[in-house]
Amino acid sequence: MRLLVAEDEPKTGTYLQQGLREAGFNVDRVTTGTDALQHALSEEYDLLILDVMMPGLDGWEVLRMARAAGKDVPVLFLTARDRVEDRVKGLELGADDYLIKPFAFSELLARVRTLLRRGNNSPTQTHLKVADLDVDLLKRRATRAGKRIDLTAKEFALLELLLRRRGEVLPKSLIASQVWDMNFDSDTNVIEVAIRRLRAKIDDDFEPKLIHTARGMGYMLDAPESK
Amino acid sequence: MRRLSLTTRLSLMFMLAVTGVLIVAGLSFNHLSRHHFKSLDRQELLEKAHAVQGILGELTSLDNFAALKPQLSALLGAHRDLTAIIKDHNGRVLFADPGPVNLPERFSVIAGNAIWEWHDQQQVFRGLTRQVKGPGQESPLTLMLVLDVTQHMYFFDALERWFAIGLIISALVSAALGWLLARSGLGPLRHVTAVAAAMSAKSLKERIPLAPVPLELQQLVSSFNAMLARLDEAFVRLSNFSADIAHELRTPVSNLMTHTEVVLSRKRNIEDYEENLYSNLDDLKRMSRMIDDMLFLAKADNGLIIPEHQKIALEEVIGTLCEYYRLLADEHNIELKVTGSGEVQGDVLMLHRAISNLLSNALRYTPEGHTITVSINQTTQCTQLTVKNPGEIIPPEHLERLFDRFYRADPARREGSPSNAGLGLAITRSIIEAHQGKIWCTSADGQTVFHMQFPRPEGSTESQ
Repeated sequence: MRLLVAEDEPKTGTYLQQGLREAGFNVDRVTTGTDALQHALSEEYDLLILDVMMPGLDGWEVLRMARAAGKDVPVLFLTARDRVEDRVKGLELGADDYLIKPFAFSELLARVRTLLRRGNNSPTQTHLKVADLDVDLLKRRATRAGKRIDLTAKEFALLELLLRRRGEVLPKSLIASQVWDMNFDSDTNVIEVAIRRLRAKIDDDFEPKLIHTARGMGYMLDAPESK
Repeated sequence: MRRLSLTTRLSLMFMLAVTGVLIVAGLSFNHLSRHHFKSLDRQELLEKAHAVQGILGELTSLDNFAALKPQLSALLGAHRDLTAIIKDHNGRVLFADPGPVNLPERFSVIAGNAIWEWHDQQQVFRGLTRQVKGPGQESPLTLMLVLDVTQHMYFFDALERWFAIGLIISALVSAALGWLLARSGLGPLRHVTAVAAAMSAKSLKERIPLAPVPLELQQLVSSFNAMLARLDEAFVRLSNFSADIAHELRTPVSNLMTHTEVVLSRKRNIEDYEENLYSNLDDLKRMSRMIDDMLFLAKADNGLIIPEHQKIALEEVIGTLCEYYRLLADEHNIELKVTGSGEVQGDVLMLHRAISNLLSNALRYTPEGHTITVSINQTTQCTQLTVKNPGEIIPPEHLERLFDRFYRADPARREGSPSNAGLGLAITRSIIEAHQGKIWCTSADGQTVFHMQFPRPEGSTESQ
């Protein structure tokens, strides 16, 4: 997967590049809008990450001209300003997502993966399986090591999310928004409680442990050997 | 007239009033004097006519008219301005004293006691005509008494002239007087203006003293002082807000710096570095959230948060939130109870955020094993929502300021719950107010209740 990061602030740009590289992406970095447009037009990328405020062309201009040239690559905007009209403008121009600075890197990573998954979504799966955990999405039933596990609707939704995005660190805010429809950063530890309960049902009595905590960042479900 | 200064207006009005009164007085005086002179003249003419009639009564024949002449002259000659003419029925002048006057013929035929007036080029006459018949006479004699009143008219002309001059002078004088009076009368107003003009952000504590201000201005000065008080309060709050921001950010920044420097001061094993980075991450996240919250409040202050206008069923909003918070409530053996239903017009995401703050607050302060009650009530005018939780009550002096930024009823709680920067309730209030709603808190008898009231959306169905 090849990404382009256009960010004029050198520190932010370097860290973004490093972080995304370590997450397994092939990342090119430019620091001006003009370079960003040139790269976007001449190379094939799977995703563009554009800062709105850049010298030369701003992010919107880059997006507009890239779209005009027939590039329909997904675009994620980074912006330090959070104004409704900015969002509307970005979305009207065909941006796919936006993130307001300061943002958590785990949040960015989760959004990037969502955007990259869009379009080439694997056809509707009916079974998800990790190690000896087996989840039947149609029957809404989970078993581990052949033992039936009773889950509430929300617990099932949480498990499904973790399974579908297996191996990814999911920030708490993303979990809250996907499972409970809470689209704002809440300062309570509801997600911790929810994860603890899910762990009690699918991990406590079994080995190996599947749900992992990425401290300060979020949670991840994966079988240890695939790491 | 609209742009004239108060002083000019008052002096003009004063001048108009004085002039008006003088004109009325002058006209009345003029009229009364004329009337008075007229009746005096009439009196005199009637008296003389009566006397002449008496003398003529003794006349038996026109032939001995000459005998009466001395008698008539004695009666009439004493009066310089009076002229008497006696004519026979053929118009022949029998008697004229002091001499004949050139009068138009029409005055010879007026009868009765009517007084007539006649203007010559220079002279004015007032007269009386009467037909007199002596005993044994076939045809009456015509008696005309004419009074020369030219002197009176001169007097009135002079009076009017002087009156006009006097009027102009008094108008000017009254305008000047009015200006002086208005100026001194408006002195307190200028004083108030001067004080108001001298106000600045630094002197918001000053108040305009009420004691020397006249009654009419006291209302204005009180309102002005009240406005100053509100400004002062807002200003102090704003200054405190900036100071609070600095303080709230300084604490985590100083933590970050100290911690990082200590860790870097010597070589450590990898776990220690990791531990330091994790701890930094926690602090940074808290700062990031605080910045988000402050930006939201700044936008709310500038009227930049414009909620979407959808009709929202509150029970659904509460339902979603309770499903989320029930996890936490169960942990502490707290029950979440929801009653009633109602609609509001607004933005689901914002309402989620606002009510979520109240619920997480309630969860924080409710003792284990108790119940938090959320009730919705829709009346014909409004939709009410209350969040009630048992627990330690909030002292009354804190209730008012509970929704202020960075305000914590218990300062010690700051350290206890570091993730709570004290902006939650301020954000809740901003959101409720952006929905044209009100929020307030009551706390007594072991129950703390947050009340919210929203305008009822148009055309919503009665729920109860």
